[in-house]
Amino acid sequence: MIKIVKRDQPSRAIFFFTPVLAIFLTLVAGGLIFFILGFKPFEALKFFFIVPIADKYGFSELLLKATPLCLIAIGLSFCFKSNNWNIGAEGQLTFGAIVSGGIALLFYEQEGFYILPIVILAGAIGGMLYASIPAILKTYFNTNEILVSLMLVYVSKLILDYLVVGPWSNPEGFNFPETRQFSDSAKLPLLFEGLRIHAGIFLALAAVVISWFVFYKTYLGFQMKVSGFSLKTAKYAGYKGKKMIILVFLISGACAGLAGVGEITGPIGQLHREISPDYGFTAIIVAFLGRLHPVGIIFASLVVAITYLGAETAQIFMQIPKYTGQVFQGMILFFLLASDYLLFFKFKFIGSKK
Amino acid sequence: MNTNLKISNVTKIYPGCVANDNVSLEFNSGKIYALLGENGAGKSTLVKILSGVIIPDEGKIYLNENNLKLNSPLDAKKNDIGMVFQHFNLFETLSVFENLIIDSDEQRESLREKIDTIMKKYNFSIDLDIPVLNLSAGQKQKVEIIRCLIRSPKVLIMDEPTSVLTEQETSELFLSLKKFSEEGILIIYITHKLKEVMQLCDEVAVMRRGKLVSVSEIKNENIESLANKMVGQNLKTIKKKKAKTSSDQLIKITNLNFTSEDPFETNLMDINFSVNRGECLGIAGISGNGQSELFQILSGEIISEKNSIEFNNNYIGDLNPQERREYLMAFSPEDRLEQAAIPQMKIFENVALNNFKSSNFFNNGLINENKIKEHSKKIISDFNVNTDNIELKSQFLSGGNLQKLIIGRELITSPDLLICFNPTWGLDVGAINYIHETLIKINEKNKSIILISTDTDELLKLSDKISVIHKGKLSKIMNAEEVTSEKLGILMGGAN
Repeated sequence: MIKIVKRDQPSRAIFFFTPVLAIFLTLVAGGLIFFILGFKPFEALKFFFIVPIADKYGFSELLLKATPLCLIAIGLSFCFKSNNWNIGAEGQLTFGAIVSGGIALLFYEQEGFYILPIVILAGAIGGMLYASIPAILKTYFNTNEILVSLMLVYVSKLILDYLVVGPWSNPEGFNFPETRQFSDSAKLPLLFEGLRIHAGIFLALAAVVISWFVFYKTYLGFQMKVSGFSLKTAKYAGYKGKKMIILVFLISGACAGLAGVGEITGPIGQLHREISPDYGFTAIIVAFLGRLHPVGIIFASLVVAITYLGAETAQIFMQIPKYTGQVFQGMILFFLLASDYLLFFKFKFIGSKK
Repeated sequence: MNTNLKISNVTKIYPGCVANDNVSLEFNSGKIYALLGENGAGKSTLVKILSGVIIPDEGKIYLNENNLKLNSPLDAKKNDIGMVFQHFNLFETLSVFENLIIDSDEQRESLREKIDTIMKKYNFSIDLDIPVLNLSAGQKQKVEIIRCLIRSPKVLIMDEPTSVLTEQETSELFLSLKKFSEEGILIIYITHKLKEVMQLCDEVAVMRRGKLVSVSEIKNENIESLANKMVGQNLKTIKKKKAKTSSDQLIKITNLNFTSEDPFETNLMDINFSVNRGECLGIAGISGNGQSELFQILSGEIISEKNSIEFNNNYIGDLNPQERREYLMAFSPEDRLEQAAIPQMKIFENVALNNFKSSNFFNNGLINENKIKEHSKKIISDFNVNTDNIELKSQFLSGGNLQKLIIGRELITSPDLLICFNPTWGLDVGAINYIHETLIKINEKNKSIILISTDTDELLKLSDKISVIHKGKLSKIMNAEEVTSEKLGILMGGAN
C-alpha cells in the first residue's frame, strides 16, 4: 500500500529536483499532446527542443532569447523573495524601452561612445520609474501591487502604440508602425559576425553575479529573506518595510527596463509595436523554475528560451501554431507547482501488515 | 447507574513521536479524574481518541464492558461521551439557541424546554436568543457544556477548560462539575495546572512523553509531588526576593491612546504608567483585551506620539523597534513561531534578527557571519539552549529551547528594559522554571521588566507591581504583595 506522509522538513534535495521533474513531466505531456495531434511524439519533441539549437545560429538565438528572460527573472526574484508580487515586468520592460528608445532617437544619426551608456541608463531609469508606481501606491495607499502592476502593462503597451504610430513614427516609413533606425552608436554591439547575439548578455550575467552577492552576503538580502518568510517578524526586527518595498520594485524595474533596452537596441535597432513576446510574463515562470536562485535562473531561462525557438521551428516544419510555445511554458509552471507537493509530502510504501 | 470507562493498551504513533505508548486506564462514575501532563505529554491525543477525532493504531476502549468503535466524533456522541474542547466550536453569529440545536434532530419546542430545565438545575443564566459573539468566554463554555448535557452523557471530558476563564468563572465551573459528578456523570478533566487538580479532582493520572506514569488519589499527593511526576525530575521552587525599592524611573507612558482601523483589534484608552529600575511591572488580563496592541506600541511595531513614551529621559514614541533597541530596550513577543523567530531559518540567522549596532552583525551593509555565529554560540551556552549546532533550523528546537534562544538573543545586549508577552505560554514546567529564574535575575541586576501575561500565577510570582488591562483600559497600579489572584480575577472580568 502506498501512503502519503508529511515530511518532517521540506527536503533540500527535492527543492532542486522538482524543477527537473517538472521539465521531464512537461516533455512527457508535450509528447502526448503531439501524439494526439497526429505527430510522432519523439520526432516532434526533437523538432521542438533539439533542432532549434543544433547549430551555431540556433545557439545564438537561444542566448538571445534567454538574455531578457534571465535579466527580468533576476529582477523579479528581488520582489518575490521579499513577498512583493510584481506581475508587471512586461510593462516595466516596455516603458524602459520607450524611454531608452526616445533617448536613442534624440541621437539620431549622431556618433559617440557616450551615447550607448546614456541609452542603457535611460532604459533602466524608465523601468524604475514605471515600477515605482505600484510600489508607491502599495506603500502609501495600501493598494494591491499585483493588480496595479498588471494593469500598467496594458497602459505601457498603449503608450508605445501611440508613439510608434503617431509622434515618433518614421517620417520616411510609409506609415509603418515603427520609428527610425537608431544610429550605430546607440546600439548594443553584436558579438559575432552573422549572429544576432549581442552585448546585452553581459548585462544579464552581471545581474546574476550582483544578485547572488546581494541575496547571500548583504544586510539587504537578509532583510528580504526575513520579510519573505514573515512580514510580522520583519516589523518586529524593525526593518524599514516601506523603504524595502520601494527598493526591490526599483531593482526589479531596472532589470526589466534593461531587458527592454536589449530588445530595441540589439539586432532590431528601432522601436516598434511588438518589442517583446511577453518576456515579462514568461520571466515569472523562469524565476520560479529557477527557485529564485541566481544560478537556477540561468538554467531556467535557457530551458524556457527553447520553448520560444521550438515553437517557431514547429510552426515552420510541422505547421502547428507557434502558440504551442506558450502551452509548453504553461505546462512547465503547472507541473512545477504540482511537483512542489513533494517538498512537503513523501510517498511511503507500506508492506501489508496484518 | 454506575458508568465504567476503560482504556486498554492504546497506542498512537505519529512520524517521529509516540503520542500514546500502550496506555491503559480505568474510570468509574462518581469521581472526578484529572489527566495531568505537560504540553506534548500525550493527553490531548488520548482524549481525541476518546472523542473519536483520532483513531488509535492499537488498543480498545470499553464503556460498561462494551467495546466501542469510535471512528468519528459522531460515534462518541452516540455512545454518550461528551467533550468540551479548549477552543470553542460555536458559530459566533448564530444565537445561543441555534448553536445548541444545530446538531440535534429533536423538536425545537421540546429542546427548548429541556434546555430551560438544564439551565435551572445548574443555575446557568444565559439568554438563549442573543448571538454567541456577545457572550463572555465563561458563558460560551457553558453553552458548550449545555450542548453536551442535552444528550445526557455518561462521560464528560473537559480539555484545559480554564485557560480562557477568570478566577470567578473557574470556581463557578468547578461547582458545576462537582454537581455533574454527584449526578453520576463521569468527569475527565485534562489540565497541566496543578492547583486545579488539587482543588477539583479525586484521582489523578499523570502522563509523560506518551506514557502513563502514575495513577493515584489526590489525598495522597501534593503540588510538589505531582509536579515532579509530571516533569520526571525534582524541581526547585523559585521565589523572588523582594526588590529593593528604587525610585529611579526608567520608562514612563503618558496619555497613550490607540485607535485601530481593524475592527478585530482593541483600542487603547488613556494608558499611563511608569516602571522604575530593577522593577517588574506585571500586566494581567484575559487575552484579547488590548495586550497585543500594547506590546506592539511598546516595542515600536506600532508607532505612537513621540512624547507618549519616555525612556531613560528620551522621548521614543516615534521610533521603530530597531531604533528602540539602541536605547537598550528588548522585546520578546508572544508568537514565537510567527513573529519572534523564523522556524525555517537557522539558529544563527534568527539571532541576527536583533540587530543591535554594537553587536556588529552587519558592517557597511554586509553580513558578518562570523560575528553572528560567535554571538549565537554564546547565547546557546549562556542560556542553556539544548543544542550545539547553530546551523540547525530553529523549527527543530522545542518550544522551551526556542524561547530560551529568543530571550537570550534579547538579553545578550544587556538591555535596561525587557518587555515580554506571555513568555512561558505553552512551555513545559522545566522551561517555565528556567525562564522565570532568568527574569528574576534581570531584576536582581537592577534592570526592569514589563511582563504582559495571561497567567496570573506567573504574574504574582514575578511582579513587583501589577496592573490589569480590560477592554483597552489599564487599572490602577497595585503593589504585588497587596494583590491576590481573586482580586486580579475580579479586575480581569471588568469590575472595579
